[in-house]
Amino acid sequence: MNAFYEGMAEIFEIEPARITPEFELGSAEAQWDSLALVSTIALVDDCFNVLLDGPSLAACKTIGDIEALVQAAKG
Amino acid sequence: MSVQAAIADVAGHLPAAILDNEELGALYPGWDADKIFEKTGIRRRRIAAPGETAGDLAYHAAEALFARGTIQREQVDFVILCTQAPDYLLPTTACILQQRLGLGTGIGALDVNLGCSGFVYCLSLAKGLIESGAARCVLVLTADTYSKTIHPLDKSVRTLFGDGAAATAVVARDGVAGRVPPIGPFVFGTDGRGADKLIVEGGGFRTPRSAETARDYTDNSGNMRSRDHLYMAGTDVLSFSLREVPRAAAALLDKTQLGKDAIDYFVLHQANRFMLESLRKKLDVEPARLPIHVEECGNTVSSTIPLTLVAMREQGLLTAPKTLMLLGFGVGYSWAGCLLNLQQEKL
Repeated sequence: MNAFYEGMAEIFEIEPARITPEFELGSAEAQWDSLALVSTIALVDDCFNVLLDGPSLAACKTIGDIEALVQAAKG
Repeated sequence: MSVQAAIADVAGHLPAAILDNEELGALYPGWDADKIFEKTGIRRRRIAAPGETAGDLAYHAAEALFARGTIQREQVDFVILCTQAPDYLLPTTACILQQRLGLGTGIGALDVNLGCSGFVYCLSLAKGLIESGAARCVLVLTADTYSKTIHPLDKSVRTLFGDGAAATAVVARDGVAGRVPPIGPFVFGTDGRGADKLIVEGGGFRTPRSAETARDYTDNSGNMRSRDHLYMAGTDVLSFSLREVPRAAAALLDKTQLGKDAIDYFVLHQANRFMLESLRKKLDVEPARLPIHVEECGNTVSSTIPLTLVAMREQGLLTAPKTLMLLGFGVGYSWAGCLLNLQQEKL
């Protein structure tokens, strides 16, 4: 998961160590806007070879929610 | 005697007005000029003036092509204009351009309503016309003015799209039996499930413009638009592109029995730098083989591929022999790819 966490930290421009499954999306420092969503789709595809669906990704509240979506998509 | 279609020349035209990142950054809270460049790779877009249409841009691109002297206007026996911003609902803008460009009346002219995939589709139509013997010199014009459909406060699309046009001469080459085709083979793709992902809903016959369609709303990311404006579901369009473009590239290589290393350049629709970098990683090719030409003009829809070819020619990258893979993808969803084999002649 390291490359994924580092990528998420890069998207939000914060320290990689801050990214945990509990990290909340949609705060002032981690805006969960269209740009972040697009960046995350590309990151997840790069890290896990999974193409997430935009609305499902937008509904994620935490990093853990994204990881659960990835696991579900991998089946 | 066998005939093959080949691209003889290409020229571009951009409108005069410039929309830069400083101007956009001042409009969008939390976005500054550097952030816009970092995310998109675009510094400036060129914007058509009020009253300046895609037909006007196409006219100037065609004149720029004739001024290069490779083909004469008397040779043109078919015009194809690819645009989603016609001068009128009817008549066909290509018919208007026949007269404006001083072309003969004994020629065919038609519009193609496609966006980012359009240039590759037009090459396939031109090749079909020429290799079936129906035409000898097809003028392929691509032109669009998406800026006219974009809400000023919709950063999701206003940061990306610019207006522009290109003119490409596709001509017949005789006595070429056994030679590698200069254009082709092709692969095509269409998925109408993506229709509402990149759309201007109001103004057609399904949803006529009304006070209701003109009402502004603000989305979850703070972008404002109405149903009369361009809407792009960025995440869906990215997912579609990351899924279908690598598949199309693989299908094309499969059709030609060529390995990836046989392709000198992958010339993709220039959506934005982020999209191109993501696709480049998936295609697994090095940066030098996938040109990015968005910094000074943004995403010009169906003209991005020919404008990139013009830029590559100016950089001396298109001296023969070269094999190029062209890949267009976007609104529809619609996508298409083909090879260009510049063997005997440079572009």
